[in-house]
Amino acid sequence: MGLQENIREKGVLGAAAAQADDVFTRLTAGIDAGEFRRMLQGEPPGRPNPRLKPHSEGFLLHIKPTYYHESVTRFTHTYRLGLLSTYLFIVETITGILLMIWYAPSPERAYTDMILLLTNIPFGQFLRDMHRLGAEAMVAIVTLHMVRCYLTGSYKPPRQFTWFTGVLLLVMTLFLSFSGYLLPWDQLAFWAVTIGTSMAEAVPPAVVGETVNLLARGAPDIGANGLLRFYLLHVLFLPLLLILFFFVHYYKVVHFGISLPADEEEVGEDTANRVPADKRVYYLPDVLVDETSFMTVMTALLIVLTVFFFQAPLEHIANPQSTPLHTVAPWYFYWLQGLLKIADKFIAGVLLPGVLLVLLMAIPYLDYNPSRRGKDRKVAIVAGIVAGVVMIIWSWMGTPEYAVEGAPSVEIVQDVMPEEGSGISREIGYKHLPLGVWRTDEVYDVHDHEFEELLHEFNIAVDYYRRADPDFNAPIGILTITQDQPGLKKLNWEITWFDAEGTAGEYKKTFWLHEDSLYWEQYGWKHLFLGYVADGWNSLSGALVGE
Amino acid sequence: MHRLYTRSPIAKIMWGILSSLVGIIVLLMVLVSENPRMEAQTLNWEGRSIENGAKLFADNCATCHGPNGQGLLGRAPGLNSYYFFTETGRIKDVGWVGTLEDYVLLTIAAGRPSKTESQWPEVMPTWDGKFGGPMRGDQVVDLTAYVMNWEASALAQTPDEDPFQPFDDVILPAEFQNTAYLLLSEEEQAAALEEYRARNIRSPQEIWQSEACFACHNLEVNQVDYAGQNGPNFADLHERADSRVAGMTAEEYVYESIVSPRAFVVETYEEVGQMPENFAEKLSEDEIQALVAWLLDPDREVTEEE
Repeated sequence: MGLQENIREKGVLGAAAAQADDVFTRLTAGIDAGEFRRMLQGEPPGRPNPRLKPHSEGFLLHIKPTYYHESVTRFTHTYRLGLLSTYLFIVETITGILLMIWYAPSPERAYTDMILLLTNIPFGQFLRDMHRLGAEAMVAIVTLHMVRCYLTGSYKPPRQFTWFTGVLLLVMTLFLSFSGYLLPWDQLAFWAVTIGTSMAEAVPPAVVGETVNLLARGAPDIGANGLLRFYLLHVLFLPLLLILFFFVHYYKVVHFGISLPADEEEVGEDTANRVPADKRVYYLPDVLVDETSFMTVMTALLIVLTVFFFQAPLEHIANPQSTPLHTVAPWYFYWLQGLLKIADKFIAGVLLPGVLLVLLMAIPYLDYNPSRRGKDRKVAIVAGIVAGVVMIIWSWMGTPEYAVEGAPSVEIVQDVMPEEGSGISREIGYKHLPLGVWRTDEVYDVHDHEFEELLHEFNIAVDYYRRADPDFNAPIGILTITQDQPGLKKLNWEITWFDAEGTAGEYKKTFWLHEDSLYWEQYGWKHLFLGYVADGWNSLSGALVGE
Repeated sequence: MHRLYTRSPIAKIMWGILSSLVGIIVLLMVLVSENPRMEAQTLNWEGRSIENGAKLFADNCATCHGPNGQGLLGRAPGLNSYYFFTETGRIKDVGWVGTLEDYVLLTIAAGRPSKTESQWPEVMPTWDGKFGGPMRGDQVVDLTAYVMNWEASALAQTPDEDPFQPFDDVILPAEFQNTAYLLLSEEEQAAALEEYRARNIRSPQEIWQSEACFACHNLEVNQVDYAGQNGPNFADLHERADSRVAGMTAEEYVYESIVSPRAFVVETYEEVGQMPENFAEKLSEDEIQALVAWLLDPDREVTEEE
């Protein structure tokens, strides 16, 4: 109907209202204003259901089912872990693209760009912290999603292939997270990735392993080429691959429906797609409201965690000439590092992870038990719990706690002032380190509580290794603090001891600490909750009260 | 149908609104704290750069420049030194027009084209990998930050504390080659120099040699064609000086040309314009008067060294 005709018939206001309703209907891909109001008021849809239209007409909703079974919409059935994984991937994409603006993947610039991001870009640290937190959370959530599906037996027919693509997505998430690890180009990044890629070298025959390693690193050692390759993997190749498999995975999820709680259907049956009319929960509006509010809560949670509780680490710039003491993999690869300590590179780094991965993918094809009910799956559930415990033990073995004790003297200094990270000496900071010579075999009357604590820790560490190591007798720790430059103190750690035969030993390590250095979580608002208010960080409170 | 849905959509919407508010408030908190945070972070990373530099200095530089940067005579000059940091000190003596920081950075990175005949026979090596040294660029930057961090303590040094280790090419007379002179105000320095010149009047011949006038000007007739590339020949100065500028005597003209060389430039030398403009400061009044008289003397003796 033409506009003029419309006005003649309904008057100007009437025609405008009709026009507005028309625009509204187009924007919502089929829901008119009246239907929208009825949705808000909680009234049932008319027949035929006009709320199905956006699913068939709109692009965004065409991948969502029009209704779910009531049982699977309960929060405690899925915990929304799949949705949360997808959501985190979107968060990672957005923060990642923003971070790319200030980042150049070259060894000359990468680390400087990190510092520039932290010092000169408003919200730069926030973006970086959120990207890092989101990445680690995504690994955790994807894993939990898999655990949930295992425990509810959701991998059973007809969802075997959904599980298979899910395992692939987990592997991609791990690789995505790990490939981002190198980009800051600090010691943490460089050595974690050096160790990671060196595992590829163990793939037999030697020529294959070497070639794989060479392809990943771009050279025998990680350098400009390796950084560029990891960058491209991280920002382009792996995300695209993950998106492809995500859609395969999600298509299967929608196609078969989310599996019902096991005791709601007969053993061996799958009724997820045969939802009785009175059990249907339509996507519009109920599930949409649920998912939107869930993601909003998660966004707020992520912001709060990022601002108050989480800080992405940045160690010294990558130095191929010096391996820091106690190099660790990211926590989700601790289990692999633990395995590498007890077996050789090929078995622990290639064979076992490979077998585990194949086993994981093959679970739906190996588990012939048709029942998804817990009481029928005792073996599977016990096996799952055992596997989880073994993973945790392997992970613990991957931490420096297990089997990487250095010499006692080295460990003592590492305890109180590690090569990377803060340690108590840097936590208490410049102002709480009085000049002088401080020995563990003497008692001092210091009035500085923080420094007292440092001396106490130093004593404890020396004492611990004295008792633990028969080759470490009558040890004395001497800390000498001198003023090296204006605003720069020099901390000289000296340990002397006698071994079992009575030969004297000596170890010295020197560090410097600048008065403006903030080594702990003393950035932004984090100090509010993480405890320590550094003297150098009064500027924030000063700025807030208007000083 | 919504009956089946156990939890109220209104409660969910309220959760959503509440979360949005929390998120927005927290982001606003970050916004107001961003400037002080960035300032603290800037200082933090400058501090860490100095810490890195301290280790590099102790490992690589302290053997020659001393553990406290006070230098070792015969090996390497002091850096933790008033002379090194003051504007009229090292960078003026080497003729560096940039900042001291740039000078330090460049010297560490590319070494120093030192005169091996000076009192510092050891040549500063190159350190940056770009110039064949063992360090990366960021290490050179850290090291520079560490050296520059001596500024406050160096500038607070008394003449006794300052190691004062200049190179041989310092222009100042030997008795002023010390920190005490550098600590004087500009007027005091000028007065001290004036007093020194009054005590040490040089003959015109000595000035001709020591100020290197001969490098551009010539005194002999038979070299008219050869000389004069950079400055006019003075063999016939006494003949033409009084007719050069109307209203000026020969003495006035030559005097003016020495103290402000750009005042009257002989036509063919306009393009050159290299005559230094600081002779009024470097020469005492008596020396200039004597030089003018000597230049205008038709019977002057020419030294043989030319």
